[in-house]
Amino acid sequence: MKVVRIVAAMATCMLAALATSAATAASAPKDLVLKGDAKCTTCHDEGDSPRVLEIGKTRHGTIADRRVGTCTSCHGESDKHIADAEKGGKKPAPPDVAFGPKAPTPVNARNGACLSCHQGGTRIHWQSSTHAARDVACSSCHQIHTAHDKARDRYTQTETCFKCHKEQRAQINRPSHHPVVEGKMSCSSCHNVHGDNPKQLARASVNETCFSCHMEKRGPFVHNHQPVQEDCGICHNPHGTTIANLLKSRPPFLCQECHSHTSHPSQASGLPTARTTGTTALGSVARGCLNCHTNIHGSNSTQNSATAGRFRR
Amino acid sequence: MITIKLHTFRVALLTAGVASMFDPALAQDATIAELTKPASSVSAGIGYWTDDRRQQGIYDGMRDRGPYGLLDLDVVKRDDATGTWLTFSGRNLGLTTREFRGEWLRQGDIGAFIEYSRIPRDNPYIVNTGLQGIGSDRLIVSGAGATAFGFGNIDLGTVRDVANLGFFKHLMPGLNFRVNFKNDRKEGTRMWGRGGAPEFAVEPIDSTTRQLDARLDYTGKVFQLSGGYYGSWYNNAYNLVNTTLNGGAAATQYFLSLPLDNEAHQVYLDGGMNFTASTRGTLKIQYTRATQDERLPTRDIAGLSLATAPTNLDGQVDTTLVQLGLTSRPTSRLSLAANLRYHDVREKTPQARYVQTGAGTCATTATCVDNTPLSFRTLTGKVEGTYRLPMQFSVIGGVDLRNQDRTIPVGAGSINVAGVDRQRYVPFRADIDETTYRVQLRRSMSETVNGSVAFLHSKRDGSAYSLTNETESDEINPIHIADRKRNKWRASLDWMPAEQLSFQFNIEDARDKYGTSAARPYGLRDGDAVLYSVDANYALNDKWQVNAYYSHDKTKATQFGQRATTGTAAPAEKLAQLEDVGNAFGVGVQGRTSERLRIGMDLQWIRNESKYPETITLTGAGTVFPAGITGPLPEIDNKLIRLKLFAAYALQKSSELRFDVIHERWETNDWTWQFANGTPFVYGTATDGTMVLADPKQTSNFVGVRYIHRFR
Repeated sequence: MKVVRIVAAMATCMLAALATSAATAASAPKDLVLKGDAKCTTCHDEGDSPRVLEIGKTRHGTIADRRVGTCTSCHGESDKHIADAEKGGKKPAPPDVAFGPKAPTPVNARNGACLSCHQGGTRIHWQSSTHAARDVACSSCHQIHTAHDKARDRYTQTETCFKCHKEQRAQINRPSHHPVVEGKMSCSSCHNVHGDNPKQLARASVNETCFSCHMEKRGPFVHNHQPVQEDCGICHNPHGTTIANLLKSRPPFLCQECHSHTSHPSQASGLPTARTTGTTALGSVARGCLNCHTNIHGSNSTQNSATAGRFRR
Repeated sequence: MITIKLHTFRVALLTAGVASMFDPALAQDATIAELTKPASSVSAGIGYWTDDRRQQGIYDGMRDRGPYGLLDLDVVKRDDATGTWLTFSGRNLGLTTREFRGEWLRQGDIGAFIEYSRIPRDNPYIVNTGLQGIGSDRLIVSGAGATAFGFGNIDLGTVRDVANLGFFKHLMPGLNFRVNFKNDRKEGTRMWGRGGAPEFAVEPIDSTTRQLDARLDYTGKVFQLSGGYYGSWYNNAYNLVNTTLNGGAAATQYFLSLPLDNEAHQVYLDGGMNFTASTRGTLKIQYTRATQDERLPTRDIAGLSLATAPTNLDGQVDTTLVQLGLTSRPTSRLSLAANLRYHDVREKTPQARYVQTGAGTCATTATCVDNTPLSFRTLTGKVEGTYRLPMQFSVIGGVDLRNQDRTIPVGAGSINVAGVDRQRYVPFRADIDETTYRVQLRRSMSETVNGSVAFLHSKRDGSAYSLTNETESDEINPIHIADRKRNKWRASLDWMPAEQLSFQFNIEDARDKYGTSAARPYGLRDGDAVLYSVDANYALNDKWQVNAYYSHDKTKATQFGQRATTGTAAPAEKLAQLEDVGNAFGVGVQGRTSERLRIGMDLQWIRNESKYPETITLTGAGTVFPAGITGPLPEIDNKLIRLKLFAAYALQKSSELRFDVIHERWETNDWTWQFANGTPFVYGTATDGTMVLADPKQTSNFVGVRYIHRFR
């Protein structure tokens, strides 16, 4: 009885296989991922280039969204590429719009393929951005045929940015840094790499960008510290430094870039030999000048003149 | 019955297996589904650090020795028929750095998300103190002798809890509405100073930042427009800290002000239009009003404010931004870009007197302090052209112009005498002009060699300086407004000698020269920065890849200043030649030893050295340093080695075990919190007594194991 069942099952399978094969041979090539992609996926199938099909895992592969195009929406009709491929033999001509590092398509044309849908929102100013002016292609940073685009993940984004920005790669690993290495921030937390603000910042100025997390520095204060109000970058390097609080230079040198008063603000750098409260001895050690001038970003105190205007209270 | 069911199941299974063997279409469908359908994963495990990592663990939530739960989730579901996504991702769910994001989206129609992230920042130092009231707005510093408090070690740090909510709606073809709301709660403690004296204090932090951004985006083929509202609010639970010295006189009670509540409201409009296929114009307009009008806390404390001083600052800063841009490609070889930007920050806070000590005229018998509203307008213009030469070369040339115009916030009326601002301690320039010329030659899209060489020259100068009330203060060129000439070179080369091997070389060299004069000799004189780096990638075969990099950077600054007579120390001139040198090396290897086993290694070696030599030339009688101080400052050397190893073993097609081992060694001789003889720094002489210790050598090892399961 058991043998009969197995033989019957095998026979059913064979018949089904034969029937399916016949039907497949008779029908037109089937789309694999996108509507109308058979034009491409008859060659670029799971055996030829499986990674190409992974676009199906992405927003670009969500065909229920009627705005989603097909392969040729980005790569062009590519008639010569197809004709060459059909002839066989030699390596076919590249698609009309190709995105690989050695692709002959001009960057302007590659980006045009993306901008035909993505020109709006925060990318309105792309053409006047430094990245555009330096021939950076969208595909230089973004991976389209994958569910996990490194450039759009906070934990992996720096891999993309540091391909070019070597100075920032060196700085981000210094003892004082924003939590970028740890994945709690990314370059795009502060930068709109598709925009044309100064330094491609997310907001109109350095300070406006910093205030989005450090709003306590925004003021205005009763006693404003002028460089603080103008540009945080005068004293801080946000990418990382060897000095606490991302300072570019160490007190008293940092403060003495602007301050040349008589008395203790002009002190030479040095370390105290023992416990002291002398202000001439404390400009370099501990918090340096900030040991006393503790509200250096601005103060709202109205307590006497010697302290209020000098950010001590 | 049971036997029959089992037989039926086995036969069904066999039928399916054989069918897929004979029907390639079924097998193909399964493969294609695997390649094209979103996948989910869960990763759970445990890790253990063998020692504390006070420096390296500042942000990663694993500062202390001990076990840690490792839990990550990434669930992605998509209904292909409707294009509806439901996603949930969670990272570091077993750590204090936990975060998650949940999203529902009907693609092209409507969607919403919620995000949460916790960002800790642990202070790396061990603080031994008697300070009372830490975390509150009343601090009492330990006195001397009988008024001394008991001492103990404290941990300082902050935690941010950031929640983000978003909503999206596609209104009609090309038109979308988006709204985002972000709530950032920050709590904890931060190292501080007591202000009135160089004593240890702790700032209590309990503040909330809220941001709302609502916008309409229109995207058409020719015309794009985006406009909206961005509001931001800062709320601080504390506005003043009352600090006293235990057993101290009344005069040693200091009130430390804290940032007050403030808010800003912005409306913005961004537009772009393709005039032709090759010419595009853009527009950017923003208007922001920021205010700060909380009651000044010291105003209500007797003796801390001028009787006639306002009770509120009534602070207001209006910021206007207008930018016009034009890009064009008149020929296939030439492209042009130009923009003009007007950014005006205008503080409209009324000027008033808040402090006056002594009676009579401020300029003579009394000392007075007004608030100092600051306004500045920045006008920038840029023109740049790119011409594409044969052989894939292109040359880029550009000019940037920048003009900054500040309103000098001089004290009102009687504070100032004969053009001298008695409230300022730094000379000031109303106008700054900077012109930058850039030229670059680049070759791109070559089969094997791409690269560029760029040169930048800029010159900055400005109007005459307004003076302070002190000769020495006026003798400096403040770094951000001083005359400056800058020359910068940058070269990069991407070289691919073989399909499997690529190199990337970078060289950057920047030199700044600051203007000085006989009347104004002090300040930064020059600054240099160089960076060299090389990156290499090598794919040994389909299974093994190696990458490596080395980078070297050096920055130098020469700073000249005066020192006034201090105690026994003579008046002098100081010449500091500051230098920072960074070296970093990294190598990574990843490969597959079998179908089931992947292994990898990542080594990082980073060294940063800082030098602070300062030559002191005496210009009068006395000692080089005052009593009790030695110099120059010693060098500081920071070293980090981190070796990461991993192995991932596939148990099944959908699951694997991953093992991680990390060896981390951090070493420093940073003297920031030390006396000259290397002993830990202690605040005060008899009172306070807070001691701050930095662990100079931190070595720790991590072992972790995770089970990872993938599913659909």
